[in-house]
Amino acid sequence: MSADLEFENLVRLYYRDLYRFGLSLTGNENDAADLTQETFYIWANKGYQLQKAASVKGWLFTTLHREFLKTCRRRNRFANESVNECTEDLPNVPPDCAERADSQTLLRILGEIAEDFRAPLVLYYMEDLSYKEIAEVLALPLGTVQSRIARAKIQLLRRLSEINLPVEQSK
Amino acid sequence: MNTREAKKILLLYRGPIDDSDPQFRAALDYAKSDRELGEWLREQSECYGTIRAKLRAIEPPPDLSEKIVRGRPIPFLRDWSRIGQLAAAIVISVSVTALLMKWSERRNGAIGGGQEIVVTGEVLDMTCYIASNLSGPDHAKCARICIRSGEPAGIKAQDGKVYLLTGEPGQSINAKLADYAAQVVTIKGKKSVRDGFAQLQVEEIRKL
Repeated sequence: MSADLEFENLVRLYYRDLYRFGLSLTGNENDAADLTQETFYIWANKGYQLQKAASVKGWLFTTLHREFLKTCRRRNRFANESVNECTEDLPNVPPDCAERADSQTLLRILGEIAEDFRAPLVLYYMEDLSYKEIAEVLALPLGTVQSRIARAKIQLLRRLSEINLPVEQSK
Repeated sequence: MNTREAKKILLLYRGPIDDSDPQFRAALDYAKSDRELGEWLREQSECYGTIRAKLRAIEPPPDLSEKIVRGRPIPFLRDWSRIGQLAAAIVISVSVTALLMKWSERRNGAIGGGQEIVVTGEVLDMTCYIASNLSGPDHAKCARICIRSGEPAGIKAQDGKVYLLTGEPGQSINAKLADYAAQVVTIKGKKSVRDGFAQLQVEEIRKL
């Protein structure tokens, strides 16, 4: 397979997931598209360093996350709030709380969660990676990743249940 | 394990993707025996599935993939093994070329050449100079006759070095040089060495 075709296939295979991850992190469509594009270009220049084809997906997610963190440092514009350390109790949330939120509302609430917690939570929901892979992407210990996901998930569910969400007209 | 502990573990459970993860096994078994926990797990799974579906329903801009493919940078692949091979090929190629040139020069009897120099000195009749060490104004007449008749001519530079004077390949320079026999002139020409003998292909003669 030629390098061009290989690159094209890789883009077609992963650009949606990377864009969604980028959008969840940034909350901005343009920033998400830029991050996705930049990630593939980094791959085009450095991807040869990968030893195993199976690790491509993890590498792409890792790179996008790193680029996002760089952007955060440069712009310091993705404001968010940290997850309260005392939110360990499991919330009683209505089972349909997620159904009543559209994608934009979900993204908005995700954007309010601190980045340290948001990134693992989004990877958790996207279900592309195992916990071990998520830990590798974020360069965090497995236990830290699981702890952050649990706390961020509780906050997300709590927010979803608290917000006075309009019932989707299409339902 | 109690219900609270099982809930904490199962909060992270996503479904089939985590079935092979041993950390969930005991809690899942516990949920089978606890009706309330089982119901909670079912609701959690539904909620998880809904959020996941909403996240996955987000579509990138329609032209994003094409934009990425079109704008792909030309990679500079630093494949060191290939670069090493290329460098080795260049070194071998240059070495072979140099050897061939040297062999060719030796075959033709010439080593070096083509360097343009300017020499100032006396024009010699080489036959008399080499055979009898004759030169200078006293030998001028003989030298003029010898050179005009086609005997080799030379120039003795001020540093004592003697060059055999030649014309363009296939053309004699003797008719011109005969007029300057035993005189001091400045000659511009291309220097070369043949079998250890220095020669100067005359381009310009100037009388001092």
